[in-house]
Amino acid sequence: MSDLSLISTPTAAEAVLVGRLRDRDQSAMTEFYDRYSAALYGVINRIVKDEEEAEDVLQEALVKIWHSMASYDTTRGRLFTWVVNISRNLAIDKIRSRQHRVGSRTQGLDDSLAAQRQAAPDTFRPEHVGLQEITRKLVPEQRQIIDLLYFGGFTQSEAAEELNLPLGTVKTRARTALKVLAKLIR
Amino acid sequence: MEDFQTYIESGRLEQYALGELAPAEQAEVEAWAARSPEVRQELDDLLTGLGVYAEAHAVAPPAGARERILGRVLAEISAAEAPVAATPAPFAAPPIMRVSASNPRPAETYAPAPVAQRSGGWAIAASVALLLSLAANALLYSRWQNANTELVAAQNNQARFAQTSQVAERRLQNTQSQLQIFRSTQFKTVALAGTPAHPQASARVLFNRVNHRVYLDVQELPPLPAGKQYQLWALDKGKPIDAGVLAATTAAGDDLQQMKDIASAQTFAMTVEPTGGSAGPTLTTMTVIGNI
Repeated sequence: MSDLSLISTPTAAEAVLVGRLRDRDQSAMTEFYDRYSAALYGVINRIVKDEEEAEDVLQEALVKIWHSMASYDTTRGRLFTWVVNISRNLAIDKIRSRQHRVGSRTQGLDDSLAAQRQAAPDTFRPEHVGLQEITRKLVPEQRQIIDLLYFGGFTQSEAAEELNLPLGTVKTRARTALKVLAKLIR
Repeated sequence: MEDFQTYIESGRLEQYALGELAPAEQAEVEAWAARSPEVRQELDDLLTGLGVYAEAHAVAPPAGARERILGRVLAEISAAEAPVAATPAPFAAPPIMRVSASNPRPAETYAPAPVAQRSGGWAIAASVALLLSLAANALLYSRWQNANTELVAAQNNQARFAQTSQVAERRLQNTQSQLQIFRSTQFKTVALAGTPAHPQASARVLFNRVNHRVYLDVQELPPLPAGKQYQLWALDKGKPIDAGVLAATTAAGDDLQQMKDIASAQTFAMTVEPTGGSAGPTLTTMTVIGNI
């Protein structure tokens, strides 16, 4: 296991894993799980807010990743970006299908202990950017928007409506916030 | 030709990064990124930023989840990979669909329960029927899975094709509009030759006196230091008028660029200015100049 963050893992290591998954090497799935499950589970759990359901969605996501591996285009982005989007979409579908959204729209995002729990120490990665650092770098207004867009499944216009802000402000804040985050590992 | 800054600020790239766009719109973003290094950089930043954010929320799944999840995933993918024309062997791997976490796995074997002697015949018949039904289920399930995989692959091919044709369409439109300019008799070509400091530099201005349009076509320009941009000036009776700054693709000679409209001019010239352009030309940096 490399000790680099998933988004900046050297492409060579990633390419090897992708190749093995494409070759239908089932042991590669175990390796994939060990590398990516905490990141994917964290995102899913933060969206569905239910540990048992999060586990189901993670399972669904892994099966989907396995079956869609042939269509993953390495030139269009990092493996992590692709798999996290698959997981995120499945999780958002899940909350939409149970009409969860209508009820929780006004509730704000859950910062329960489970959601805050960090990856186990055995997956320690020096380059890994933690929540504390993010809290330090982003102003609360920026974080709130990214949370709505990323974990709430809101579109930019829906987020603008929800927060009573002009759409342009939402766009600018989201963009500035993401660029601040990108700089953390550049 | 187009303004990448406006595009960057449109919010489209964020929508792309968040997966909100339909395939055709995704293709549009990718076409932009392929054309403009600024858009590419911005998009990479947004994707990286989201990745950092996602990873910061990493949480190890609960204890025991690794075995449960991997077990079910591997069972599901082996069931799907089983040869389609299998003999009734797949009995060993009945299709495991969704099993709830509290009930990890159905009873493994169908233990021959102590059956009363008289119903033995029925029990055998029922077992055979069950076995056949399991084998058939496994077969149908794996076919269904294969069909699903093929469908996903086909949809992906379709999306990729739509993307390619859109890129081609856009290039064609670009080429056609450039051709119109070159064919138009209203446009006058003004050759801009390199100044003594840059003898190899050369460019052309296409100037339309009727509708005042100005297009710029670069043959060769010296590379720029960081933080600088070429700016085109029109000189009308000796007075310099800003005609706009050159996009990186224009300066590299990849593209024809429409500049600001100019009502009247006798001379065009180009200088090196700080990125974004200046109000007046820095004459010492003049690179090319030409008279109409």
